[in-house]
Amino acid sequence: MAEKRKVRISDISNPNIYPLAEVGPNNTIELPPPYDKLENLPGFKKLSESARQAVDDSLDGVVAVGVPKPKTPEEEQELVEKFISGLIKLFSKENNWTFLQPLLLTMEHCAKCQTCAEECPIFEASGYEEIYRPTYRAEVLRRLYFKYVKPGSPLLKKFQVGDIELNWTLISRLIELSYRCTICRRCAQACPIGIDNGLITHELRKLFSQELGIAAKELHEKGTVQQLLVGSSTGMTPEVVKDNVSFIDEDLSERLGIKVESKWDVPNADYLLIHNAGEFLSWPENPAAFAILLDAAGIKWTYSSELVGYDGVNYGVWYDDFQLARVAQKHFEIAKKLGVKGIIMGECGHESKSMGIIAERIFGNEIKTINAMTLVEQIVFSGKIKFDPERNNFPVTLHDPCNIVRLMGIVEPQRRVLRYLAPKFREMEPHGVENYCCGGGSGFAVMTPYNFLDWRMHISGRKKFKQILDAFKDEPPGPEVPKYVCAPCSNCKGQIRDILDYYGAKEKSGIYYGGLVELVVNAMVDLKEPFIDFSMM
Amino acid sequence: MEFLHFAFYFGLVIFLILVISKAIKIATAPVHLRWELYPVAHEKGKAHYGGSYLEEFEWWTKPLKKDLLGELWTMFQEIVLLKGVWEHNRSLWFGSAPFHYALYLYIASTLLIFLGLIFGVTPDNVDFQTSWFPQFLNILLWLASILGIIGAIVLLFKRIFDENLRLYSNPSHYFNILLIGMLYVTSLVWLLNSENAIGEFFGFYKSAFTFSSLPEIPVIGYIHLYLLSFFLFYLPFTHMTHFFMKYFTYHKVRWDDEPNFPNSKIRKRLMEQLNFPVQWSAPHIGADGRKTWVVIATSPLPIKENKNG
Repeated sequence: MAEKRKVRISDISNPNIYPLAEVGPNNTIELPPPYDKLENLPGFKKLSESARQAVDDSLDGVVAVGVPKPKTPEEEQELVEKFISGLIKLFSKENNWTFLQPLLLTMEHCAKCQTCAEECPIFEASGYEEIYRPTYRAEVLRRLYFKYVKPGSPLLKKFQVGDIELNWTLISRLIELSYRCTICRRCAQACPIGIDNGLITHELRKLFSQELGIAAKELHEKGTVQQLLVGSSTGMTPEVVKDNVSFIDEDLSERLGIKVESKWDVPNADYLLIHNAGEFLSWPENPAAFAILLDAAGIKWTYSSELVGYDGVNYGVWYDDFQLARVAQKHFEIAKKLGVKGIIMGECGHESKSMGIIAERIFGNEIKTINAMTLVEQIVFSGKIKFDPERNNFPVTLHDPCNIVRLMGIVEPQRRVLRYLAPKFREMEPHGVENYCCGGGSGFAVMTPYNFLDWRMHISGRKKFKQILDAFKDEPPGPEVPKYVCAPCSNCKGQIRDILDYYGAKEKSGIYYGGLVELVVNAMVDLKEPFIDFSMM
Repeated sequence: MEFLHFAFYFGLVIFLILVISKAIKIATAPVHLRWELYPVAHEKGKAHYGGSYLEEFEWWTKPLKKDLLGELWTMFQEIVLLKGVWEHNRSLWFGSAPFHYALYLYIASTLLIFLGLIFGVTPDNVDFQTSWFPQFLNILLWLASILGIIGAIVLLFKRIFDENLRLYSNPSHYFNILLIGMLYVTSLVWLLNSENAIGEFFGFYKSAFTFSSLPEIPVIGYIHLYLLSFFLFYLPFTHMTHFFMKYFTYHKVRWDDEPNFPNSKIRKRLMEQLNFPVQWSAPHIGADGRKTWVVIATSPLPIKENKNG
């Protein structure tokens, strides 16, 4: 069989190549039985004819953003002109001081040695499709930067980085391509020079959002916009979230025989607790476990019922600096108004990073932020609560959320807790700062348009699924022994939930998932009933 | 002034001007938002597993301790052993390491020649055939030339025959390797053809820096020195400026974990940057070219939201 021609950088502008790359289920990352047969898995959904008429799927037959097809040549030209205008702003200090220095360093000094490529789980899981190579999208942007922004002789620039044709096809494909990377930055970690191709994804998304007004709906319209206008990216208003939390408290109190009581708007509490609001809807045990643990430790805490104050989500961190700042500023403002000492950030990776270090640089750190890992460790080893680790006597492995671990360096607190409270804890390989992304990073966990979920399951999430299976390979393979994946991040949990459902891993292998704090509360001696009930998961 | 002198001065001056101006430009670029990647080498007691001060409960109540020795050790491993390439791209290391070691040795031997000239070592007062110093330099240059040629051949073959590299290589990549390779080829041929090549190197640099007439140099020496002059001129226009930009990619981005404390330098610079006027055009930004970054970031969202597209 003739070897498939590899996609060239210049091909991205060529509308006659359709699609630019064909992706689908493949076995590049081999899974152990019973997950080894591709024919037993659903393939990629085909887009309906109406969807294909409406939006561009010419990158890889997958649609994450859904760029509307232009109706006239004028519309095509308008997009090109807007793009050039945005490109120039991306490299100006007034408009993009937030990331200009790392962006310039990455644009001008890549040696194109491809050292980064092997580190990308998406590139590997796709069967090494060129368009997913970390340098592919970076190289497209680099050529455009040299052509339209960097001064100098056009001939010399062609000699240095090559040429590229800018047209509607390129822009539309580049928009989609900026949503085929989870910004886990494993590629950047491997680069000997310090080039950051993950940053390129981030900057491209910003250009599209801040200049063209184009972003993934789940991140923008249903994400930051809804959060700023309604209060939460889940759509929950303050009244609804209070109702939901009250129901969770009642339900858990009844089941566990202890009082679970969430607090709202307590002035001068020590800490404002902000969860990713998705927890209240999808994993109510997590906020309940926090409430139990904080009360048992004697910490004075409160939730806020102000708009935005009860949702730690900040999707701006993945696509738009201004949306990021608007949301973070609301969090800090609410904390200040309540008069708390600081904000406890729930088990949410991007919340921790956006509030704890990124927004901290913008607004200063007068309002302190505490991430959940260090808080839980502090409580567990404070001696205030009695634990019985034997209550967690089932196999446990730990997923390292990229935002908390590789990008914040919070590695050991959660491990110290697990080594103490989970006798059958084992690591995934690799782990810690060398972990693999769950495949739902950079917002993918909440994105399911068209056939994007299939892509997430087969391509971006496959490496993590293999890691999970490998971590439990010394256990009975069937469902008779429940196995717990501890994923202390809401978005990672969302992705892992979808992976386990997609592959049927709960039924076939008894693999469950949850956060860290649930394991901690499950080991509390004061609780008469087990907190973790696998029959209800 | 000989034309070779002129070419050398020109190359050197352009090199210095562009390298310094590029370094100033990147060093004075705005403070960016935190974007560090762990391990951060200066995290005291934590760098070996990738931990940070953020692991500490209420970290701001504790002193931030930096491990500068740890940082130096990491830099040493990266610069001298090319650890990153060794760990993540072993096959490339066998080309990249000799290629870089050759550059280190060549630069070291050139710096030693300068030092020698400062301390009065010249072919007029030292016997270059028997004294240890010129002989040591002779060995350095031999090693540099041989390693450089090996490195260039390996890298060139990899760029040509490895499709993963070829697809992302531009004419400049091949040219750069050939140019540097030819530097080593010509230095090796010079060393092979002249019993007093080190003396001739000395003679050239002495004449260049004392503005005196050029000593007798073989044709291959001329070729080598013209190539060197061109290389000096050309290098700042290429991605090879990573030799100093790596300082910024590591220290100012990857390892930048500095908190934004009140009265800090970062705070001062950020206050200026927050007042930059913004021009982004998307309706949800609400920019008009006059409103500042911070005004936009702290203003309510403009209600009329633009739909995608």
